[in-house]
Amino acid sequence: MNELHKDYLLRLERACGPLLQQLQVIWDEIGESLADREKIFKDLEHECVEAHQIKLDKASHLRAHLRQSIADAEAEVAAICSAMGERLVNNTQINQKDGSLKSEVSAIVPLLEEMRNRRAERIGQFLEVTEQIRKITNEIRPAGCNQSEITFDESELTTRKLEELHKELQSLQKEKSERLKMVMGQLKNLNSLCIVLGLEFEKMVAEVHPTLDEGEESKNISDDVVDRLASTIQRLREVKLQRMKKLQNLATSLLELWDLMDVPIEEQQLFQNITRNVAASEHELNEINILSVGFLKSAEVEVSRLENLKARKGKDIVLKKKFELEELRQKTHLLPEDGEINFAFEAVEAGALSYSLLMEQIDNQISLVKEDVLSRKDILEKVEKWLNACEEENWLEEYSKDENRYNAGRGAHLALKRAEKARAIVNKIPAMLQNLSDKVTMWERERRKVFTYDGVSLHLMFEKYNVHKMEKAQELERQKEQKKLHRLRVAEQEIRYGSKPSPSKCQNSRKGRGSIAPRKRLSLGGAQSAPPRPDDPQRKKLTPSAKKTSDRLFFSPGKRSAYCSPSPTKLRFNDSTPHQPELPRQPFSQLPHPNNVISAPPKMISGDNSASRTPILMPVHMQVGPTSYLTPVKHQLESINAPDQVIEYSFEESRLACYLAAQN
Amino acid sequence: MSAAPIPLNSGGKELLNPPSDGISNLRFSNHSDYLLVSSWDKTVRLYDANANLLKGEFLHGGPVLDCCFHDDSSGFSAGADHTVRRYVFSSGKEDILGRHDAPVRCIEYSYAAGQVITGSWDKTLKCWDPRGASGPENTLVGTYQQPERVYSLSLVGNKLVVATAGRHINVYDLRNMSQPEQRRESSLKYQTRCVRCYPNGTGFALSSVEGRVAMEFFDMSEAAQTKKYAFKCHRKSDNGRDIVYPVNAMAFHPIYGTFATGGCDGYVNVWDGINKKRLYQYSKYPTSIAALSFSRDGRLLAVASSYTFEEGDIPHEPDAIFIRSVNEVEVKPKPKTLAAPS
Repeated sequence: MNELHKDYLLRLERACGPLLQQLQVIWDEIGESLADREKIFKDLEHECVEAHQIKLDKASHLRAHLRQSIADAEAEVAAICSAMGERLVNNTQINQKDGSLKSEVSAIVPLLEEMRNRRAERIGQFLEVTEQIRKITNEIRPAGCNQSEITFDESELTTRKLEELHKELQSLQKEKSERLKMVMGQLKNLNSLCIVLGLEFEKMVAEVHPTLDEGEESKNISDDVVDRLASTIQRLREVKLQRMKKLQNLATSLLELWDLMDVPIEEQQLFQNITRNVAASEHELNEINILSVGFLKSAEVEVSRLENLKARKGKDIVLKKKFELEELRQKTHLLPEDGEINFAFEAVEAGALSYSLLMEQIDNQISLVKEDVLSRKDILEKVEKWLNACEEENWLEEYSKDENRYNAGRGAHLALKRAEKARAIVNKIPAMLQNLSDKVTMWERERRKVFTYDGVSLHLMFEKYNVHKMEKAQELERQKEQKKLHRLRVAEQEIRYGSKPSPSKCQNSRKGRGSIAPRKRLSLGGAQSAPPRPDDPQRKKLTPSAKKTSDRLFFSPGKRSAYCSPSPTKLRFNDSTPHQPELPRQPFSQLPHPNNVISAPPKMISGDNSASRTPILMPVHMQVGPTSYLTPVKHQLESINAPDQVIEYSFEESRLACYLAAQN
Repeated sequence: MSAAPIPLNSGGKELLNPPSDGISNLRFSNHSDYLLVSSWDKTVRLYDANANLLKGEFLHGGPVLDCCFHDDSSGFSAGADHTVRRYVFSSGKEDILGRHDAPVRCIEYSYAAGQVITGSWDKTLKCWDPRGASGPENTLVGTYQQPERVYSLSLVGNKLVVATAGRHINVYDLRNMSQPEQRRESSLKYQTRCVRCYPNGTGFALSSVEGRVAMEFFDMSEAAQTKKYAFKCHRKSDNGRDIVYPVNAMAFHPIYGTFATGGCDGYVNVWDGINKKRLYQYSKYPTSIAALSFSRDGRLLAVASSYTFEEGDIPHEPDAIFIRSVNEVEVKPKPKTLAAPS
């Protein structure tokens, strides 16, 4: 390198030498002074030095510039690297590689270029992300966001930051999609609500925000819109609940009215879809238009129609209630109080009273009567018992009067049993009556009104009964006196004439009239014989063995049909007489049987067996008591011909009857 | 006695000192050949059948309708005076076990339950515990309502069959008397006269007043019910028409399971229920057969020949009890291939 400027100087001398010689020649010619020559040579030297100095300055500037450029470039690269979060490339390497500035520059410029590119690229990415973020944020919460915030710091271009931004973007995207989903959900809700309420979905949606009706992408899902949507849905839900309540009220009204007025099934079915939902929950009501205004209206119309009908049928209903009231009264033996209600009807006709009011009144009365029923129940039960006891008393009286009750016969034991029971009951009557009377008094005192039984005061009834009883007792006394007198008379007669009047004669004279005769109380045994009715084929007189004279035919008509068996219950299968073929088998009916075969084994025959005889059963029921069976009580029988009362007896039962009869 | 005297041997040995009125039932003891007889003459008599001796006589309050042994030392009776009485034979003591509201018709003692069971015309069945002191407050175990008056009872093992008027049949399990195990209707169309359970406990026989006996089974399944059948017996044919007699009594042979029936025709027939054949017919007795009983070993058959009032109160032969020795040929079942003696 040092040779260059030496060469340069030589070349310069070589070039300038001739010039200078020429110059000397010229000067000589001109005759320039030495001073002037020196001055020109000084100027020349000065100019040369200056020209060199300028070159030198230029080079130095260039050197400085290059240095500057390199430094700048390096700084920029460093900045970029730091911004991008990359490691600085080692510049000194480059320096050492070549050593000169220009080479450095040429090295660093592409590097710089590259870094710049990368930076630009990175920035591009950032931009993209932030742009998207901005977009989504805009969609989601446009009002609240500050657009300027969605920028990025250019000094922070690291990949990490980029990732952060990406994450943010993702979350925003997720949020967006969720929101979208929610909005879709809400829209569905809204749709179903609209269907139920009979509203137009599109219109409702448009109200909220027009874009909601369009495709998914273009929906506005900002907070604001979402809120509006939510509030709309809430509003509609409230409307639904309201209408639902109304509908259910209407449904219950319908049901009540239907029940009250017995509406036919066909009419009911028309409104089945209302009443079906009378107890439905909010979620169960989701049919089309079930809560629409129109539907509700139709239900209202129906209800009001029925109400009108009800008003018109008011009278019928009132009558029905009146009937109910009457029945209740009757059941508890209160007299019906007609007057009030009829008066009330007139009032309604006159317009002074409405049917509904009247119904209320009757309802009140009904509930009052029901209370009454409760309070009267106890006493009424006792009254029933007492009345039954009185009936039994009467029956017993009749029965006691009957002469034939001691005769053993069909159903006799049942009558005996009844008589036993009746006697026990009759004994209890005074105590029962006293108890009852006390209860009635207490009741009357409590309620301060008379206890009536079918209109008659109970106390009065008791009075009457007691009086009646007293009278009967007196009558009995009187009769006893009479009998005593009669006996005395008879005894007198005997003393006078030496014999008693024959008992059978006097008995027969009284037979069949059922009057009380003292002898009936004794065992009747053989003392009596009722004349048989020969024309009745079924009731043949038995011819007992010689020692038994009592007979067992009885004809007094019975009052109670339950006690006797009418047809001969003895099963006799000797059908020697042809007119009795085997009857069709009826399990519970007895075979009426014809007569004995005369050719039966000889051991069986007694005297007059030529007469056909059908034995008649005479079961006897014995009284309770240790020895009481020995004094059998004979009882009434119903006419044996009653065909529908068939009671079977076993041989032992009939034998026992005979046995007991024979005992007497 | 109007009939020709029946040869003493053909009907069996006649017991001395029979009751003076109708015989309602007679029973052999399970432990010996003692015979307990209840009668309409209000007595319950105990006989030694082998020795032909009257061992004891007890007076009831009224006609005695049924009797049964407890063991060889005591027995029970059911009377028309509504009482159920107990007798101790050795001491001659008797007491009243309890009462019904109407004549007590049947009485049985169940060894399985240790209870006395009575059926009455008051439409109830009562169970008594004889170990209690006397008096119904102490001995009555339970009262069970029946649809109608009880006419006959029979026990086997834990099963009790009750036959009532109206052809009702109730089958009880003695271990649970609260409800009848089965409520049935008699398959015979006429009044039930007597019911007896088979010794093998599978069923029971019913007899009616119409000369018919039904063989029934407890098992109500289809298969078992196909085995049931009924047959006519104690009938007489006269000019092509049947004279039909009630079948009063039935008794099962304790060993062979065949059974004897006695009817108002005065005959005793022995039947093989499984092979559906009649095995034997004994010669005719003087009057209706009121009761039958086999001794515990099946070698003796007691026959009560006593008019049962099927024709009402008419003159009749005196009441007698015959004890016959039973031959195997008369009671042993014969398989179907062999012909039965007529």
